[in-house]
Amino acid sequence: MIEASRGAPLIEISGLMKSFGTAHVLRGVDLTIPRGSVTGLLGKNGSGKSTLLKCLLGLLKTSSGSVRILGEEPWHLSAEAKSRLGYVAQEVSLYSWMRVRQIIEYTAAFYPTWNHDFARDLARRWELPTEDRVGPMSQGQQQKLALVLALAHEPDLLILDEPVASLDPSARREFLGTLLEVTRDQRRTVLFSTHITTDLERVADHVAVLRDGKIVYHDELDDLKDSVKRLRITAERDLPSSFAVANSLRSEISGRHAMVAVSTVEPTLVEELESQWEASVTVEDLSLEEIFLEMHGDA
Amino acid sequence: MVNPSIQFEVHPSSGVPIYRQLMDQVRAMIASGQLADGDLLPSVRQMADELQVNMMTVSKAWSRLEIEGILERVRGTGMRVSSGVASGPLKERKADLKPLVEPMVTRGHQLGLTDGQILDVVKSVLRERKL
Repeated sequence: MIEASRGAPLIEISGLMKSFGTAHVLRGVDLTIPRGSVTGLLGKNGSGKSTLLKCLLGLLKTSSGSVRILGEEPWHLSAEAKSRLGYVAQEVSLYSWMRVRQIIEYTAAFYPTWNHDFARDLARRWELPTEDRVGPMSQGQQQKLALVLALAHEPDLLILDEPVASLDPSARREFLGTLLEVTRDQRRTVLFSTHITTDLERVADHVAVLRDGKIVYHDELDDLKDSVKRLRITAERDLPSSFAVANSLRSEISGRHAMVAVSTVEPTLVEELESQWEASVTVEDLSLEEIFLEMHGDA
Repeated sequence: MVNPSIQFEVHPSSGVPIYRQLMDQVRAMIASGQLADGDLLPSVRQMADELQVNMMTVSKAWSRLEIEGILERVRGTGMRVSSGVASGPLKERKADLKPLVEPMVTRGHQLGLTDGQILDVVKSVLRERKL
């Protein structure tokens, strides 16, 4: 186990359920995040990503199941554990009457490990107007400020809920670059949620897919891309409606042609299809976005 | 010295994982003579900075190429192209392969296959290698 050699996992979730009245948002989430990984939590809008992160942080009480963060129970998180955490919520709410410089100083006072140089450097690079009040700033700027506040105490575990959703493309690229910088220290673990697959592809080494209240996939991003493929099959004669391929995620059959997305391609699969159906088969690589759509059956 | 003329590029949204894109580019650079025996590759950190990708990704590409014997680790310096890997220019190495291809084409024609069908066979072999 990788986890064993690198210390206990920072996040361990098993059988987590969360309902709001009759709405069962999380239906048994199992997820273990190894130390030092950068994990993108991917799910459609409304799939429960924020709920999952909030349960993890103790901002919401779970309905059932077990959740451990930094070895503790989130609902009773110690001050020590909190000081090792950084979090940026999807909707940033900051004291609107404070000036940028003031809010940075105010937040710094809570953290013994605050890195003043790093905070200043980030604020400068992200062009935050240090003497302006927070209130009138754009959503994007507030988001950047919230990131500075979440990063400057150099947390072991950084949790970001849709961190770049409100940033413009250049600020977004800039932020992803910073995130790469932050993750360079391999003792740091990052979990961020997004519904935008391209955000994930440069930065994350692991991907977890949340669908229908469960984690339906969690592995290395490279392994996902290496294993999920789309087959284009053209047979000599019409394919029967019963035509099926092992490990298929989704198939489309029309006459002699079939397009099948598979979660793994067994080494003999292509040959078998070719001989069984006198078919020609091509294997296509898929981008994360395409994989995500295939997994949700609506490519 | 790292050869300054070598330029990598990655397409994160491609279906090919980034580490494999890097591996392919190193192989292509060796084949085209841009990288010669003993040439040093940029460090993992340099690559990650320049391409704005996760360091693990670069490190994975370099280690896999090391396993394949294409790169070798030089203590304290980084990775370099293994000696003998980039032997001779592309033209010579293609010429080397030709005598092996000739009998295959002959056999294909004997079996009544068209040129296109012979190429299909080659492609399917190449594809299986990739899987």
